[in-house]
Amino acid sequence: MMVGKDVSDISFKVPEDTYDTGKHTPTFSAYLTAIVRDSTGRVIHVHRQRSRSPTANFMYILLPLNWYTSTGQALTLTNATGGTCSYQPNVNSNAACIFYPNSHYNIQNYVVMIQVGSGTNSNPFSAHSLAAPIANGSGTGQLVYGTPSVSNTAIVSGSSAYFVIEQTLSNQTGSTIDVTEVGVITYIALVNTALSSIPGCGNLLVWYDALSSAISVPAGGGLTIAYTFTVNP
Amino acid sequence: MVASDAVNEEDIDKLIIPDDLPEEPTFKAYIEATVYDKEGHIIDYRRQPMKSLTQYFLALMSIPLIGTYSSSSSSSSTGLLANTLGLPSEISTEYVANITWAWSIQVGSGSQSFSPTLTGLAAPIANGTGSGQLSYSTTSVSYTASSISILGTVGNSTSSAVNVTEIGLTCTVYIQYSTSGTSTYTCLLSYDTFSTAISIPAGGMATFQIVISFTG
Repeated sequence: MMVGKDVSDISFKVPEDTYDTGKHTPTFSAYLTAIVRDSTGRVIHVHRQRSRSPTANFMYILLPLNWYTSTGQALTLTNATGGTCSYQPNVNSNAACIFYPNSHYNIQNYVVMIQVGSGTNSNPFSAHSLAAPIANGSGTGQLVYGTPSVSNTAIVSGSSAYFVIEQTLSNQTGSTIDVTEVGVITYIALVNTALSSIPGCGNLLVWYDALSSAISVPAGGGLTIAYTFTVNP
Repeated sequence: MVASDAVNEEDIDKLIIPDDLPEEPTFKAYIEATVYDKEGHIIDYRRQPMKSLTQYFLALMSIPLIGTYSSSSSSSSTGLLANTLGLPSEISTEYVANITWAWSIQVGSGSQSFSPTLTGLAAPIANGTGSGQLSYSTTSVSYTASSISILGTVGNSTSSAVNVTEIGLTCTVYIQYSTSGTSTYTCLLSYDTFSTAISIPAGGMATFQIVISFTG
């Protein structure tokens, strides 16, 4: 059967639930919460904003096999230092796919950190690193990064479900440090089961947000950042 | 999980500046259905919001976000993969393993209340040419910088109309082993019902497209 006629053939009543960009039902939301504490541990500011920006690295990894097998193409993952690796998953022993935990041979894919910075990327999708990352340390302009934690399961509440990525940073300098951008950095390594190709893609920026207003972390204070990802909010 | 040791909720609410949160949803998704008669004429078209992603969508999207390992030194999978998606916490019998996944669109003739833990359609329509069945073509996927589109096509090779009342985006996860073996796991990523049944006439066909947009 040919699908040859154009839409002028259409003769039907549009249903009432037709998509309306202004009034549709939320399907998925992401937001970040930043909690600032002073040197005594008292909460002095909470910043909350919608998060909008998966990067190209995120999209390329999320894409299912359907795209890769139908196009026959690979996509390039670019790490935070500009290094690249080619990603073209498939179901065969020669295709390099993401490592899965096993008891013998592992190169861990894991969330490295929620990184903060003092710059702004104008095009988050194509960003591979923060514009001006704040280094881990106690030197001038630096923050001490804690270890990120992730919900151990999706938390279901009614028709909604969510999980959280959270990390705390501390300002051990004598000056206030301003944060204007936030990103999630995840290490990704690939392997094929023939073990002939084991590319380490490195630290990938997979999610990025420029803050709607700068967050000031006072000397001796701390910053806790939480990303919350929710379906059917 | 956030700041349980902060101050009380009322005080925190006063400290939230800015509070840029939904009513506005961050991400949009919708479903389009187009029905053709046996001569290729469009006879019905629907476009409706996609309302119902499941917890398994969350778990799958956690892979590009946080990887597959629970830490930099662990040989265990993340809790989201093991506890939510139901994948092994560790492959114990193989030298190496990797993971990938495919998506497909499935339609059905039933309906059920939504839960984020739903694992399947109420009454899936089988792939085939027998009574009440539809012939599924390969699901295709495309993407832009801000969205992923999934397109499924079904043909009705029977002599009677087939009614579609529900639709799901399903996932097949492949874990491949160094012995060339592969384990497969299936999950339901989304579930929606149509406000009125979509009737695919004998000899006709329909396309179903799900678009997930990552821009707010």
